[in-house]
Amino acid sequence: MIARFLIYGVGIAAFLAAPHLFAEYHLFQFCLIAATALVVLGLVVVTGLAGQISLAQAAFVGLGGYGPAILATSWGVPLWAAIPLMALGVGAAGFVLGQMTLRISGHYLALATMAFTAIVQLSFIHSDPVTGGAAGMPVPPLRLLGVTLSNGGQLYYVILPTTVLLFVLVRNVLQSRFGRALTAIRQSETAAEAMGLNVLRYKAAAFASSGFLGAIGGALLSLLSTYLDPGQFGITQSVYFLAIAVVGGMTSPLGAVIGSAMFILIPDFLQSFQSYLGLVFALLLLGFIVLRPNGLAAMGPRLVEWVSHRHRVVRR
Amino acid sequence: MTQALLRIDDVGVRFGGIVALDGVSLEVARGSIRAVIGPNGAGKSTMLNVITGIYQADRGALIFEGEKINSRAPHMIAQMGIARTFQNTELFGEMSAIENVMVGLDRYLSYGLAGSMRHGGHFRRCETTARREAQALLSLVGLADDASIPAAALPFGKQRRLEIARALATRPKLLLLDEPAAGLRAAEVESLNTILLKLRAEQGLTIMVIDHVMALVMAISDRITVLNFGRKIAEGDPATVRQSPEVIRAYLGEKAAAHAIGS
Repeated sequence: MIARFLIYGVGIAAFLAAPHLFAEYHLFQFCLIAATALVVLGLVVVTGLAGQISLAQAAFVGLGGYGPAILATSWGVPLWAAIPLMALGVGAAGFVLGQMTLRISGHYLALATMAFTAIVQLSFIHSDPVTGGAAGMPVPPLRLLGVTLSNGGQLYYVILPTTVLLFVLVRNVLQSRFGRALTAIRQSETAAEAMGLNVLRYKAAAFASSGFLGAIGGALLSLLSTYLDPGQFGITQSVYFLAIAVVGGMTSPLGAVIGSAMFILIPDFLQSFQSYLGLVFALLLLGFIVLRPNGLAAMGPRLVEWVSHRHRVVRR
Repeated sequence: MTQALLRIDDVGVRFGGIVALDGVSLEVARGSIRAVIGPNGAGKSTMLNVITGIYQADRGALIFEGEKINSRAPHMIAQMGIARTFQNTELFGEMSAIENVMVGLDRYLSYGLAGSMRHGGHFRRCETTARREAQALLSLVGLADDASIPAAALPFGKQRRLEIARALATRPKLLLLDEPAAGLRAAEVESLNTILLKLRAEQGLTIMVIDHVMALVMAISDRITVLNFGRKIAEGDPATVRQSPEVIRAYLGEKAAAHAIGS
């Protein structure tokens, strides 16, 4: 119990100290990692836990970005209200999309979710009057309690706590009967049904939460980039999110954070390498699929095991 | 009340041109142990899959506790109180043995989504109770010491028993066992018999078992139904069925049967 409070205390202290220790650019990057991690967390739920391959994540992210921006510019709805509202709507869309899993599964489901992303992207491009068409649209800054939060250093105070809160909630749900049910469904749908689980509803709920998390993450990303370009919400981007999930580790929320950190920090270290970045990511993805299908997050416990084993051997 | 727990009335199932079940009728009385036997391809597993809603019956009626269960979804049938095990074991391989059982208990955990987000007191009490109940079920089937082992890592005989524990966790009225003794050693069949008889005696559980292993079928069943080519060819207590010429013919073939009966 004391250790727990200590961890909380250190966490809060680190959260408050960071703005004084890091440059604004770094805070911006923390925010980017956090928002991306939320998007990927949605994939951890639907693909990692429930086993349904989804390429709809970029569409959810796009809807989460465009929706609040349109609500704010055209209807004057404040962003702080529009973002969760839109996320609930996208979650509902995810639930409907999840109903498809009644008829299709596996590769066909992946293709269907890919089609969903393509349709959503096309509708962004062809709805010029509200979305600005292919040219995109600016995102109004977030105003909270009369303060305008426009740069990474300011958004940090909103994005980090939101991410931490959602991560804790999702982790808690996954460590309950709902997480067990999703894991069971991934391993044997037939047996899960025979246990009385409503498999379709669980799968649809997994899609709904991936939609909700993707939309929140998308909204936060749009606040950081301040501009929505429909080119960012295509199938390639969906694959990018899936790659982050694979490298980080599909089956644990922690994997979403680790993967996002890797994919956002690597370009920084490889600045001179910029034009080969796609190749680096592709090789990473390939390497992990072949050699470490459970991702980086699963390597932690094994590392601890290995170290403690070595330790024991040395002592002996 | 003498109403049967499960009544199968003239049920037929065909897959394209193949008739898997051809007008089979049978009644399973409450608290009884019923065996269904027959050569390979006789339609035994098909019958189990029709009862549990995996296949649909093309004709006939399936009535459980007076309610028609044809065309109900498998999870609804499970919720009505029919649990099953699988011929080739369908465990949740990556999950530990106790978690497998806890999936069966899912419906009896009374916290909702909000409760699971908070991990509050009610949540913890529910989880603790469920874990204790799951542990008790593992002990019942002799897996008390294997609770934390991933299901896929258990030896085959233990996987079979884990399936039974998981099925029992749903608190069924009717337990369907699909070849529970296949591939088990004689001693393991013995202990399985003991478990099944104990379940019936202590909880009044009704059991329907499909198997080839006569050491199990003959020792525990009250009545045996024999299927061949999707038809019921005999029914009765073990002694009657054992002597039925139809059954001997189905199992041994025409010539051998003539010889066996003639001698």
